[in-house]
Amino acid sequence: MTSREHLRYLAYLGAFLVFLAVLPFQIGVYYRSFVMFTMMWVVLALSWNIISGYTGYISFGHVVFYGVGSYASAILVADHGWPWIPTLLVGAVVGLAVAILIGYPVLRLKGPYFAIAMLGAAEGTRVLVTVWDSLTHGGLGINLPNVENSMETYFAMLALMVVTILVSYWVGHSRFGIRLNAIREDELAAEALGVNTTLYKMAAFSLSAVFPAIAGGIQANKTLYINPDGEFLLLITITMTLMTMFGGKGTVIGPIVGAILLYLFQEVVWVKFPFFHLIMFGAFLILVARFMPRGIVGLFIARGWARKGMVH
Amino acid sequence: MGAQPPEIALDIRDLRKNFGGIRAVDGCSLAFPRGQISGLIGPNGSGKTTTFNLLTGVIAPDSGAIYYNGDNLAGLKPYQVFRKGITRTFQITRIYREMTVFENMLSASRLSVPERQGRARAEELMAFVNLTHLRDEYGGNLSYGQQKLLEFARALMPDPDVILLDEPAAGINRTLLADLLTHIHRLQGMGKTIVIIEHDMNVIMNHCAKIFVMDYGLKIAEGPAQEIQRNEQVITAYFGHR
Repeated sequence: MTSREHLRYLAYLGAFLVFLAVLPFQIGVYYRSFVMFTMMWVVLALSWNIISGYTGYISFGHVVFYGVGSYASAILVADHGWPWIPTLLVGAVVGLAVAILIGYPVLRLKGPYFAIAMLGAAEGTRVLVTVWDSLTHGGLGINLPNVENSMETYFAMLALMVVTILVSYWVGHSRFGIRLNAIREDELAAEALGVNTTLYKMAAFSLSAVFPAIAGGIQANKTLYINPDGEFLLLITITMTLMTMFGGKGTVIGPIVGAILLYLFQEVVWVKFPFFHLIMFGAFLILVARFMPRGIVGLFIARGWARKGMVH
Repeated sequence: MGAQPPEIALDIRDLRKNFGGIRAVDGCSLAFPRGQISGLIGPNGSGKTTTFNLLTGVIAPDSGAIYYNGDNLAGLKPYQVFRKGITRTFQITRIYREMTVFENMLSASRLSVPERQGRARAEELMAFVNLTHLRDEYGGNLSYGQQKLLEFARALMPDPDVILLDEPAAGINRTLLADLLTHIHRLQGMGKTIVIIEHDMNVIMNHCAKIFVMDYGLKIAEGPAQEIQRNEQVITAYFGHR
């Protein structure tokens, strides 16, 4: 890809950023929150995509990083009186530490074994957070000081989303990303061609953990109440998975488009069919897996509207 | 360690590997000459591919040594062997099917090589094996012969000193094979050491300076083609007792 093409994409991102920076001043709190949560899903889908889309290690427990990030922030704000923005950095460090702790043993597993181990890691962490009453307030959850911060959380999420997009773009268009793709395609061949797969997988896993941890922290300070069942909800992982698959895993634009469209769809369906939206969501997942295994981006490539591959 | 003669690129000594009760490689010693094309042959199950796997760190030997430029490679991981300057292809091609030809090539570029140089080398090698027109095509969409060429070209990306080719002729047509052999000779002309495992005896007998024959995990013969063709032990290994 030429420098001109990179600059063109950066210009699109810049225009998108200007639009999103102006938007919250033109809309009310409800829509501001809606856009903020849309951006959060973009962050989560892009992060999941780094380890599962680029590297091929399908994580069914990615919510664990989101959960520990939200708890790290909430504990510091509610119990120690920290201002909320610095707590996001602590959340990122905690997310990274948990990623290293979990990743070291779990990334030795492959395919369904890795997926199930991640599911177990997330559930195990949820149970730990529930029983560790003295630190986490257990099942009662944590109430945060009641303040109107929709503008601050909006801009924090916007900044996080921009960083996540830039990092994903770099990963997708760099030799680091090509090596992750090589691991996804054939780990043994990748290693025989010089890729230290253990190191690369660990780097991808850690990178994919940091952004959800920060997103969890912002979310906690927006909703002002968290509990283990809500923060470690399996559905959060399933949603980021589905968004990425729907848009096109292993691409930069796919998770962004998937997150925006599906979150919009989810909100409309949730409002119109409050009791059936989960069933409809599940049916959608099956349809995507069956008919669009490469997502929207895959359809564009198949029709010749987009180029194959990430690096040209 | 024992001294490695300079004319020997890869010096394998008393290499052993058991899989359960099966002795896949049973005290095998081979010395592949530097800057030559060598053939490694033997009946199915004789331990040829296992030897390649041991050489490239895909599996670790139970005992023995593999000397290369004075270093013992035994027990190194595949990426460490690669970084020493040894690359390989596989018996069944292992190209990246959901990556383009160009991405396949770049995946094997050394990180120490600046990106611009890596790209230039990838373009050069794609031209070398006539795959430039398929540059942006997925690896999985190539014909089997083209996949073989891609895997071969990809193995050349780091400009290796030693290239191990596992059945390069299998499943490809005569025209492509002739091209591939031309490329192999050009590499040898550039001073590369090439070791070929192959069942196509025309390839082995007409293109390899030295041939090593394995049976039941052991080297049973070595020498030029004419000697190997007359060797009773080799004939017995392939065809049984007369």
